[in-house]
Amino acid sequence: MTLKTTRRNLLISGAAGAAALAMPAVLRAADHGSLKGKEIRLLTWSDNTGLAILENIAKPFEEATGAKVIADRTGSTSEMVAKLRALGDRPQYDVITLAGVGAVELAGDGLLAKPDLNKLPNLEQVDPRFRTGADGHGIGYLLWTGGLIYNTKTFSAPPTSYEQLWDAAHDGRLFLPPATWTDALDTIFATGKLLGGDGTNADEAFAKLGELRDRLLTFGENPTQISELFRSNALDIGGVYAPAFYAKELNDPANSNMGASYAVDEGFFADLMYTIVPKSHPGEDDAVHAFINYTLDANVQGVMAEAVLNGPINKNAVMSDAAKASPFIIKPEQLGDSAVVHDKAFIADVREDWIAKYTQILT
Amino acid sequence: MKTALLPGRNGGSFTFAIRLLAVIGILVCALPVAIVTIMSFSASEFTGFPPQSFSFRWYQDVWALFTAADASSAQSVSEATLTSITVAVLVMIISTVVCVPLAYVLARSERRVREGMETLFTLPLVFPLVMLGIAFLLMAESLKLELGIWRIVIPHVALVLPFVLRNCLGAMSGIHVEVEEAAVSLGASPARAFWDVVIPMMKPGILAGLIFALIISFNEFTVTFFMYTIDISTLPIWMYSRTVSSLDPATLAISVVIILFDLVLILLVDRLIAGRANLF
Amino acid sequence: MTSHLSRRLAFAFTLPALVAIAPFVAACLYILRFSLSGEQGVIEGFSLTPYYELLTPYFGRSVWITLKLSLIATSVVIVLAVPLALVLVTLQSNLARRLLTVTILLPLILNLLVQAYGWVLLLGPSGVINSTLIALGLTDRPVRLMFNETGVLLGLIQTSLPLAVFPIASSVRSISSEYLEAASSLGATHWRSFRDITLPLLRPGLVAAASIVFAFNASAFAIPLLLGGRRVQMVGLAVRDMISPLFNWSGAAAGGMVLILLTIFVLFASNYLVRKTTARIGT
Repeated sequence: MTLKTTRRNLLISGAAGAAALAMPAVLRAADHGSLKGKEIRLLTWSDNTGLAILENIAKPFEEATGAKVIADRTGSTSEMVAKLRALGDRPQYDVITLAGVGAVELAGDGLLAKPDLNKLPNLEQVDPRFRTGADGHGIGYLLWTGGLIYNTKTFSAPPTSYEQLWDAAHDGRLFLPPATWTDALDTIFATGKLLGGDGTNADEAFAKLGELRDRLLTFGENPTQISELFRSNALDIGGVYAPAFYAKELNDPANSNMGASYAVDEGFFADLMYTIVPKSHPGEDDAVHAFINYTLDANVQGVMAEAVLNGPINKNAVMSDAAKASPFIIKPEQLGDSAVVHDKAFIADVREDWIAKYTQILT
Repeated sequence: MKTALLPGRNGGSFTFAIRLLAVIGILVCALPVAIVTIMSFSASEFTGFPPQSFSFRWYQDVWALFTAADASSAQSVSEATLTSITVAVLVMIISTVVCVPLAYVLARSERRVREGMETLFTLPLVFPLVMLGIAFLLMAESLKLELGIWRIVIPHVALVLPFVLRNCLGAMSGIHVEVEEAAVSLGASPARAFWDVVIPMMKPGILAGLIFALIISFNEFTVTFFMYTIDISTLPIWMYSRTVSSLDPATLAISVVIILFDLVLILLVDRLIAGRANLF
Repeated sequence: MTSHLSRRLAFAFTLPALVAIAPFVAACLYILRFSLSGEQGVIEGFSLTPYYELLTPYFGRSVWITLKLSLIATSVVIVLAVPLALVLVTLQSNLARRLLTVTILLPLILNLLVQAYGWVLLLGPSGVINSTLIALGLTDRPVRLMFNETGVLLGLIQTSLPLAVFPIASSVRSISSEYLEAASSLGATHWRSFRDITLPLLRPGLVAAASIVFAFNASAFAIPLLLGGRRVQMVGLAVRDMISPLFNWSGAAAGGMVLILLTIFVLFASNYLVRKTTARIGT
């Protein structure tokens, strides 16, 4: 009997799995041209990760459905949050992709609508840990991961500890993330763990980080400037920083001098990014849900992962062999013990204080 | 005519020092642009300086960008350029039309009034632009204004007023009140004297103001960053997303093209308005 | 003096400009009101907390860096702008004059991000200047020319130089060459006639140019962001950090107000000093 049930369960889940696998194709066939004339206003990052969304999500979505995606590609997560707060109940956008913190803050302000999960069938294939967040207002998108970026000319083997940042040999040749980025909070965490704490021992960490003040060449406010500094061999190491900016450079270390590593003793950092929908957005709900669903499609997730080195959250993400082997793309099952995923409530609590201290200690 | 200011021959150490400083000034202005221009002709994808070989390939990319539809941004680059030009021309006209009469009145009024007004019209320069940007946005949104293109024009006008007014005032300083009085005594009304006598004399200053207004509005980023909407966006906003995502020689080529664009606009204004008394 | 200028005409001539600046004045009042808000993100209640919270050594240092860099940049800009204006006005060839005008305007035109990239290629640790110094054996480690105050100062000078040259040039144009001819016929050297005649006549233009340059630099934000490597925290940058990601908008408004009051104070003080010294020279 047990056997039977098990078999039965297996059968059911197998069927569900097959249905889920077939879903994108089915949806695509059903949706073809069905959203003709509908407009979706998308707000996303200005950096290359935003550009990749246009090329790998918006364009094929337009072709598949006939809808028009009007994209605004300006700003960082915190700039998006500032702008949406100022716009209040008159948002210009239907869909926004942004980092976890941003979604939590906007949800807290009551500016976000709760997407209807029933209209997002692709969620079934998403790792349950990463389906929703921000109290149901955010739909999981991709995993942002950060580790150490290093100079392949200086390091014969990838650095294995954040301790390397304090090596006197790198005096004047290192960078840190700017205070305004969540990666700065990761850096504080990493320093705390380096000192033997669990990452929340911020006071110790700040004292240690302070030692870097005069050794720092720059903050990584501008990713393209950082890659230029690596290329001209002016930087040795920096972090916590995301390889996501450097998909092209990391494939070509001979010219870019850039390498990246997650295999660091104190761990690497993963943050779930979200897709959100503002309340009283201008576009139609169905089109918006179709778009969000599309971002979770197994093919789309695979292509995006490869383009910007983010971790796919769709368990069936279709990736090339090269992408599967890539050390820079973290699949959900690879998160393991060494990934630090912040408790968002804790971060929201200390964020302001940490940003201020980080700036004050290092500038 | 003005050779005595800077003697060419027999100038000795004075002329040498002045010329040396001027050369330093020119270098400070031009070096980054020169480097960027050279790099934009690089044949390589990598941005090492100096480039190993040269080509026009990035300019071909730029040409394609302006001619083909571009889906990488809310607006195509040609739409954004058109918006930028419209905004800049409106800003230029409005700011000049309001500043010329003001400069005239101020130049003829008491010192206290003049200094007070000058300070008021310098203020837009003093404010941190980020704060100003968010204040304009919050005001427009809380009043629920549907402004269209004016949501960018109105803040831009405020931003260029200091430059336009200063240039007009500078031009007025050389025009003595006797000139108008002569015109009035010959039977012209004060308004007529202003129009026929003062304005032509102010021309170089007005023109400098116009060009400043044009350039500053055309290239303004910070306040526009808050005020633009997904439907009404400008070239610097487009350029920003482009530069943040990829700083390749193609981006540099676009910058060079934008510079040329500015120069064409400047020369056009110069020709249209100045006639013989041009600034250049 | 204003005999022929009736009050009504003066009013009619002033009104359009006042209308044009009205939205800005409204924005100023809005910011003033925000800086007194009891809440960080919205205008609600009255409180001096936003100002009180600025009383930290950190913000104090921001103010100090801002004043210091703006004053140095302004002095350098004036020293460079006067010669440029003299050259510009005295150039005989039309073509040369046009080329020079365009060159001076360049820093205003080129996208700042791209300009910053040009500076990295020039001043960066592996830039043209450093590799030359190392090749010549003058130093074995790259000299830090950017991502510090030096880099910010250079950027400030570069972007504000055009703002100074043109007002000064128009003052230069209005100097009557008769004065100078008289001076030289009396046997004054070039340096002397520059110091005793040109400079005093230029003084109003210089003050106007200096104040516009100072105000422009004091509120700078993009330059310290891009050329300071975020390590030179000028007030404009501190204000931006408060807007996002700290979302302390009342604090940002208060920071902005402090910056404005300081700038106005500096402008008035310099105007006053100049007037006092001019008056003394006049008597």
